Amino acid sequence: MNFSKFADFEIKSSSLKDIRDFSKKVFKENQELENEQEKLILAIGEAAQNIIKHSYENKKSSDKLRLQISCDDNELTIDLYDKGKLTIEKNVKSRDLDDIKPGGLGTFFIKQVMDEVIFSKSKNDDWVNHLILKKKIIRL
Amino acid sequence: MTYKTTEENNITTIYLDGEIDMEVGDKAKEAIMPLLDSSNEIHINLKDVQYMDSSGISVLIESHQKASELGKKVVLKEISKSVLKVIMMAKLEQIFNIE
Repeated sequence: MNFSKFADFEIKSSSLKDIRDFSKKVFKENQELENEQEKLILAIGEAAQNIIKHSYENKKSSDKLRLQISCDDNELTIDLYDKGKLTIEKNVKSRDLDDIKPGGLGTFFIKQVMDEVIFSKSKNDDWVNHLILKKKIIRL
Repeated sequence: MTYKTTEENNITTIYLDGEIDMEVGDKAKEAIMPLLDSSNEIHINLKDVQYMDSSGISVLIESHQKASELGKKVVLKEISKSVLKVIMMAKLEQIFNIE
């Protein structure tokens, strides 16, 4: 199973539904991913939400964010690119689950779903942040 | 997201319908929280909620906490499978009142 699809989305909270719909479509086209799609869509949605909330501080922008979903044999890679404020990995914290309060669960959910979460600076000038989410796909 | 409320036997039930994310989280909160001022027991029916992320979970936590402060009760009813998975991922199934 090898594929790569990407799409760009406006930086606004109403894009989150479009992001989920795009992801759903990609996973539906690849049957082996259909079983995992709910959790993967959650992780993607949370990552996109974090870009809007933190990289753009919920402010309107004419920028876009790019979501790329790729599969190379047994590994799914989800790349999210944005041009917002540079993300400093040590500032990205998920909250302790015992500390029950609203907020702070997005990053926790991403890490629960994905095998690897990599924050990096984009290697090209088109983007600032490049978030890489990886997951091994188990074939039954 | 849309919603409707009913009242029966001093219990207010709010039926949420749709997907709850950051875009509609505030709308869900604005729909639920005032009910705690007017009713002692609120049931939040989630059978028609197809998707809920951390924004929606935050609203549920806030309503649960506000209810506790006021000596009132919030119960989650008919939680859809997809929402239950997210609640369990956050290990909140022990905290919320679920029926």
